[in-house]
Amino acid sequence: MEKRRRFHDILIFAVTLAVAIVFFFPIFFNLMSAFKSNPEIMRDAIAFPKSFYLDSFKYLLTETDFPRSIVNSVILTAVSIVFMVLVIPMAGYAIERSNAKWTNYAFVYFLAGMMIPFQAYMIPLFKEMKMFGLYGHLAGPIVVYVSGSVGFGALLYTSFLKGVPREIEESAEIDGSSKYGIFFRIVFPLLGPCTASMVVLNGLGIWNDFLMPMLVLPSGKPKTMVVEIFYYVGEFSSRWDMIFAGTALSIVPILIVFLLLQRYFVKGIATGAIKG
Amino acid sequence: MAAKRKSRATHTLVFLIPALALYTLFVIAPTLSSAYLSFTSWDGVSTKIHFIGFDNFAEIWNSERVRNALKNTLILTAVLVVLENAAAIALAMLVDQVRWARNLFRSVFYFPVLLSGIVMGFVWTIILNYNFGVLNQLLDLIGLGSLKADWLGSPRFALVSIILSTVWKQAGYYMIIYLAGLQGIPQELTEAAAIDGAGRWQQFKSITFPLLAGSLTVCSVLSMISSLKIFDQIAVMTDGGPGFATETLTYIVYKVGFGELRQGFGTAMAMVLFLLILIITVIQVKLLRKREVQL
Repeated sequence: MEKRRRFHDILIFAVTLAVAIVFFFPIFFNLMSAFKSNPEIMRDAIAFPKSFYLDSFKYLLTETDFPRSIVNSVILTAVSIVFMVLVIPMAGYAIERSNAKWTNYAFVYFLAGMMIPFQAYMIPLFKEMKMFGLYGHLAGPIVVYVSGSVGFGALLYTSFLKGVPREIEESAEIDGSSKYGIFFRIVFPLLGPCTASMVVLNGLGIWNDFLMPMLVLPSGKPKTMVVEIFYYVGEFSSRWDMIFAGTALSIVPILIVFLLLQRYFVKGIATGAIKG
Repeated sequence: MAAKRKSRATHTLVFLIPALALYTLFVIAPTLSSAYLSFTSWDGVSTKIHFIGFDNFAEIWNSERVRNALKNTLILTAVLVVLENAAAIALAMLVDQVRWARNLFRSVFYFPVLLSGIVMGFVWTIILNYNFGVLNQLLDLIGLGSLKADWLGSPRFALVSIILSTVWKQAGYYMIIYLAGLQGIPQELTEAAAIDGAGRWQQFKSITFPLLAGSLTVCSVLSMISSLKIFDQIAVMTDGGPGFATETLTYIVYKVGFGELRQGFGTAMAMVLFLLILIITVIQVKLLRKREVQL
């Protein structure tokens, strides 16, 4: 029995390992190819790099708009997230802690937004952005990201707030704190785990988003990393080394953040699953 | 007391207004506008908007290209929901049972989820390239050169290639949900079955899989919605081609609305897509919930 158990364990491990190798291969292949020169890639795609070829990185980071697009990606993601975790918990708090009936309607109104896919309102949105002067600015996508996350965010925060006892807020009120003080100093810090899920889920979505920055940001100027990579695929169609270097530069930060914040990613999915 | 109640109402309003205003302006308003524009022949530029009734919808109904895209979308979605969930359950079972390096394996299977569709689409484009691609090179290497194909350039394989690369990208996400489901199944159940002489496949079929019903509902709805909206991979891997072989509804909305400047028609397509997602989701949730109850 013991022996059979052992055999079974090894078999499962071997199968898992084989699947894992297949799974990781495309990413490994990409990172490896970033250190190969173009002729090397064309000659033999599978071979390991002969030397540590860094010229494509050097070229991308000094001769092209790529650095600027990295900055844009960072600004877009960071600023959107800051506004999201400011605006949405406030709304969730107002809904959860108010006894007024109209806030319930507001909640249902927000939830309806979860059913609307972006494509359904994408076309008129651009007209609207032009009207508000947001077209062609980083502010454009930021506003849309924040607005688009209200539905799901409100659900996430109100359900989390149900588990936060009101007594703390009541005693702070007796001690003379203002409503705003109570929210920002007491309630907001208690929402930490919920905010972490928000940051991880939405941050990733924005960092990886393609359609919105491609359509909204001004043409002819650097957009975001993902859009830039998309253009390179067309522009440098014969310069795979450039594209590999660019994709590698976009994968590595995600890899690092993932390794640091792994448990939030997993938790984020568990809460994200409720959305369905 | 009245004054206090009033001040509380003001606070509630102040807290709610930013979210309410943004959401109304940038989600609800354009959605309503979209519904209106779908009955017009607006080109996206001119100031005059002509109301044309149901003409756009009639055109959608009669268009060969739209019908083809609808067919592609439905095939893609049906196959992806089945394959993604099958792959995710298999991965979850492996990670759940493996004795060593469990967290490492989980991370490896999950990592593709984090990449953008553009980046992963590009990586697969190169792997599947006819002349220099890894897949064809590997096939040559192991002596199966006759199986070599132009994976993205031929109408026969392009959709298959997109499906397989999407399964690779998404399976890890659902795996995490199934893993949580697996951990909720008491071990005594499978142990008891093992004592009664049930084989591993029987244990899975009669105990584990039925008890994953809740996770299955969530995952299949999520994978269905994301498959209906698939866009990035197609943009970078095939651009809807060859011909119209991989054009989906979302891709047409984008192409017609922004490439061909027929935004009235584009919004009509978007409305159809919206309704399709709504209807299929409701039906799917109803069916799967019913199944859960019966179990």
